[in-house]
Amino acid sequence: MSGEGEIVVIGVGLAGLVAALRLAEGGRRVRVLAKGVGSTHLSGATVDVLGYAPFRVRSPAATLPEFAVANPHHPYALMGTAVVDDAVTWLKGRLSNPRYVGDLRRNFLLPTALGVAKPTAVAPQTMAVGDLTHGGCFVIVGLPGLKDFYPALVAGNLGSTVGIAGEAIEARAVDVDLTLDGRVDVGPLAYARRLDDPAFRAQLAARLHGRLGADDMVGLPAVLGLTDAEQAWEELEARLERPVFEIPTLPPSVPGVRLYGALSGALHRLGVSVTIGGEVLGAETHGGRVTGVHTETANGVRFHAAAGVVLATGGWAAGGLEMDSHWVVREPVLGLPVTGIPGGGRRFLPGYFDHHPLASTGVAVEGSLRPVDGDGRVVFTNVRVAGATLAGAEPWKEKSGDGLSLSTGYHAAMSMLAEED
Amino acid sequence: MESIETEVLVVGGGATGLGVARDAAMRGFATVLVERKDLAEGTTGRYHGLLHSGGRYAVKDPRAARECAAENAILRRVAADSIEDTGGLFVTTPWDDVTFGDRFLAGCADTGVGVEEIDVADALRREPAVNAGIRRAFLVADASMDAWKLVWACARSAEQHGARILTYRRVVEVLRAADTVAGVVVVDSRSDEEMTIHARMTVNATGAWAGQLAALAGCRPVEVVPGKGIMIAMNHRIVNTVVNRCTMPSDGDIIVPIRTVSVVGTTDSPVADPDQLEVTQAEVDHMLDEGEKLVPGFRHARALRVWAGARPLFGARPPGDDDTRDITRAHALIDHAERDGIGGFVTITGGKATTFRLMAEETVDLVCRALDAGGPRPCRTAVEALPDSEPGAYYSVGSRLARREAHLLDDQLVCECELVSRQTLEEAVERRPTANLDDVRRALRLGMGPCQGGFCTYRATGIFHRLERLDQVTANTALLDFLQERWKGVHPILYGDQLRQARLDDWIYQGLMDVEHLPAVAAAAIGSVA
Repeated sequence: MSGEGEIVVIGVGLAGLVAALRLAEGGRRVRVLAKGVGSTHLSGATVDVLGYAPFRVRSPAATLPEFAVANPHHPYALMGTAVVDDAVTWLKGRLSNPRYVGDLRRNFLLPTALGVAKPTAVAPQTMAVGDLTHGGCFVIVGLPGLKDFYPALVAGNLGSTVGIAGEAIEARAVDVDLTLDGRVDVGPLAYARRLDDPAFRAQLAARLHGRLGADDMVGLPAVLGLTDAEQAWEELEARLERPVFEIPTLPPSVPGVRLYGALSGALHRLGVSVTIGGEVLGAETHGGRVTGVHTETANGVRFHAAAGVVLATGGWAAGGLEMDSHWVVREPVLGLPVTGIPGGGRRFLPGYFDHHPLASTGVAVEGSLRPVDGDGRVVFTNVRVAGATLAGAEPWKEKSGDGLSLSTGYHAAMSMLAEED
Repeated sequence: MESIETEVLVVGGGATGLGVARDAAMRGFATVLVERKDLAEGTTGRYHGLLHSGGRYAVKDPRAARECAAENAILRRVAADSIEDTGGLFVTTPWDDVTFGDRFLAGCADTGVGVEEIDVADALRREPAVNAGIRRAFLVADASMDAWKLVWACARSAEQHGARILTYRRVVEVLRAADTVAGVVVVDSRSDEEMTIHARMTVNATGAWAGQLAALAGCRPVEVVPGKGIMIAMNHRIVNTVVNRCTMPSDGDIIVPIRTVSVVGTTDSPVADPDQLEVTQAEVDHMLDEGEKLVPGFRHARALRVWAGARPLFGARPPGDDDTRDITRAHALIDHAERDGIGGFVTITGGKATTFRLMAEETVDLVCRALDAGGPRPCRTAVEALPDSEPGAYYSVGSRLARREAHLLDDQLVCECELVSRQTLEEAVERRPTANLDDVRRALRLGMGPCQGGFCTYRATGIFHRLERLDQVTANTALLDFLQERWKGVHPILYGDQLRQARLDDWIYQGLMDVEHLPAVAAAAIGSVA
């Protein structure tokens, strides 16, 4: 692969951001094209590497090797599981506000907005404090008008959960009387912006004063500041003199917006152009390579020459995979072969939690994440596929979504950089 | 065991049953209605929402056409608030016989169905999405009717006249005293408690289930064939007028604009059990193909939800004939005293939502005669408007938006798709102390818009739980039931944007919230934790 040309990364979800940043750090010229902002704004911004396989995973590091053997077509198996560790270490080195903590040796059990203890390997430290692994006393705080977080529901379910050795979890909910100028219909971002203001944080702390027990850990919806979460969190812990943690709300995800800001900011500092609203319509190909892509712009269709392409357009939810009313499945950008399409019969089963035939459909790849056809032949030698577009995984069931995006984005970049040498 | 007495007992909480209960109560009978689930959970809540002009039956089924035409005019007066005056078009598509239009006009004239043939160009101006290749167009008085609203209005009116409406009561036994039905025993499906209801007259208004209740009563078989019809709700108002194909009734020949969606329907196939209505892929494909004929590009529109209802088709099944459409759509009133020598019991079945009021009137007339009510008790349902319909204004599709705009700053929006506010939700909960999330869904259309509950399922659970209406386990179960209920209606039509939406909802509930491992269900749904 030529070291001169530009790599086009398509998609600004976690996979695309990671691939672009790693490539740029490796000295490649990179251009990022995306239809819109990606998965970060939806996800809780925790790095769930492997939560269930199918039983709850205590240590991803210990479980991944056997998981790879049992699931040979899973991206983790194709890349080799050591990549995951490297990718996690790399990411943690790039995030400072808030910092990310944890590793593959053991999963945290972090409360969700339903009060379920979700296994996750790496998380912002603003969340990791809420680890339920060893039980404890938790106060879950509700903010008035915020419709995307219900503290009593969280506390109720936490109360019927136990730590891994059966440690008790006590949880209760409190509502604080601190409105946003009396507004009754508030989304998470509005609270987050206001909590960037130290004066508002002081008000929040004051409203909680006297309502907390000595051993309480204080859980809040994940709205502790948009631009300086680390500061907001530290300050609140100091004021309350107790551990404070965030719990992801319904989207839009404040921690996800922070994550996007951190990674896109790093791209910006390296001079990488990120175009949102630049939907890729298709590609030019020659001799088994993609030579460039066409994007939609306000001024008509534009061509971007590409020495290589990282396709990180996401799965069904993001539009990276599509199925029409005749049940024809396609990958719309490069027209890559899609594997695992259920034949003839049903794509979905009647039970919501059933194992649906379409669940792990996607683009098949080889070990360096180059797309392959049904016979295992590489389709385009200069293309890498990363993230939810990939076949063979069930990210939501496995609780592996961000882990897959991170590690495949990272590996796509590494394999491109390696090829150059 | 609780035991109550009444004069008239109505079994079945669909349009027919509520119509009977209201009519009987208005005529001064002590009345009780029992329904095994929630009101309008059966066929009434699962139809396409068409208030027939009668045009559909003008050629094939003159009696049904006549009844529809008359009832259409009556309901527009007494149930205006449940009706959107969309008007209806019958169009001759390139697949239809042009001369059928002449038979159609003649049939309408014979049966009193108002109709006007209009220029194709005028029809296309009115409905630009309709196939430009249509060759004839006829304007009729079709409209869309909100069946839930209608049934609830009947229930409120019945209660105002002293009736008791008991939902979630399943009949487990029909009481017999010699040659007379003396009432029923019901079980409350929520508390498992039994209740005996003694009645002088029991009305079997169970529609497609009428044969089952008649059998419990020990009558000779009531020949009701459940005719399965599937319907697909498409996002947006693809059309704003009801659009029918001008041909003999067939599959997928009608699109009904109702509230914020357009419903394409329907199929018609006999089934053995009205509780087992599976939607097949072939049926979905067939509906989409037929929709495409009426509105080109139909397949590119977003399908929101598919469901099936069981029409009660009365009459012996023609041997070897799989198409139940040949059975008359007019109704049947059976006096079991006359037919079987069993007193105190009548069955009203067949018919259709449009004629529910007439069916009720005839039924209560019979009840009056049977109970020898001591002088005439005239029916007033054709003249007395339902609550909320007194002003006589039709329902307007913009009404929710208007309400939302009026409370933009002082109320919270819980369901963005269907504009359900928190206050509306909390009021609905207060009004119906036993309601579950799914009942509220039907009452408010919560979670019935494009995102199919993606956001509001969590919010509504949180709000219910916060009102201390649901304990923890119940809240968890309600949330899971709601997800399953939504899934039931979307999984057969998951393609295009709705597939995208469904995966986004999975992302939220499974990826973000780990709903599979809610304490109440972890063991059952997923397997125990290692």
